[in-house]
Amino acid sequence: MTFAEVLRANQSMVFSLAFHFLRDAGAAEEVAQDVFLRLYQKLDELDGPKHATFWLRKATSRRAIDYVRKRGSRPAIALEDIAEPPTAEQPGDPLLNRRLRQLVATLPEKPRMVMVLRYQEDLMPEEISDVLDMPVRTVKSHLQRSLAMLREKIDRSMGDIR
Amino acid sequence: MEDFEQQLRNALGRKQQPPTFEAKVFAAVAAQRSSRSVFWRWATEVAAVVVIASGFWMGYQHEIQQRAGEAAKARLEIALKITVTELSKIQKTVRTSTEEE
Repeated sequence: MTFAEVLRANQSMVFSLAFHFLRDAGAAEEVAQDVFLRLYQKLDELDGPKHATFWLRKATSRRAIDYVRKRGSRPAIALEDIAEPPTAEQPGDPLLNRRLRQLVATLPEKPRMVMVLRYQEDLMPEEISDVLDMPVRTVKSHLQRSLAMLREKIDRSMGDIR
Repeated sequence: MEDFEQQLRNALGRKQQPPTFEAKVFAAVAAQRSSRSVFWRWATEVAAVVVIASGFWMGYQHEIQQRAGEAAKARLEIALKITVTELSKIQKTVRTSTEEE
């Protein structure tokens, strides 16, 4: 397992995790670069590609949360003005997708990261609990509450559009 | 609920990293590696200077101690010679006075 192989296999995952959490492509790139630099130093300690991916998810989550805390609670750019990086293919309604991303970005840090890991990476609550060092019960409760809140907000905002 | 979860999966799908991302990471890794090698070269040079300087210092200290030891030995020899001379004088005096009696 070389550094280049791990980088190529995981760069989209790391960048997307940081982008969906931070909603700032520049900041996401900075965080992702920093995470890969740390990976380069740690590569000998990692036990195969799966372990590397797990480590990258964990490191990106921590680094992105730290980034927000250092930057302060204010978003760098208004959520509506954010330039979206390209996606290979984007199923579903683009307007709805954009609105959902904006709403996810308004969640508090921990529930937001839980949502991104669940719906970007398709991780189960047990896996999210390992990545974020958080009890499974807490992960499930963040998911339930966030889903209910997002559903209510999206119903309201899409109702306004209709 | 499943529909809504699927919508979230669509919305939070993976994004494409900027096209220059990979090159930037490799450049950062190379910069980190070269700054490390500069640090280690500097550290090795400093360590060599410290080892040489401490070698000189220990040699200098050893010579000072050796000179001090030799001087002390010479003083002791002189003191012993004086003592022997004085003792033989006393012995002569004692012997002369005993013979006179």
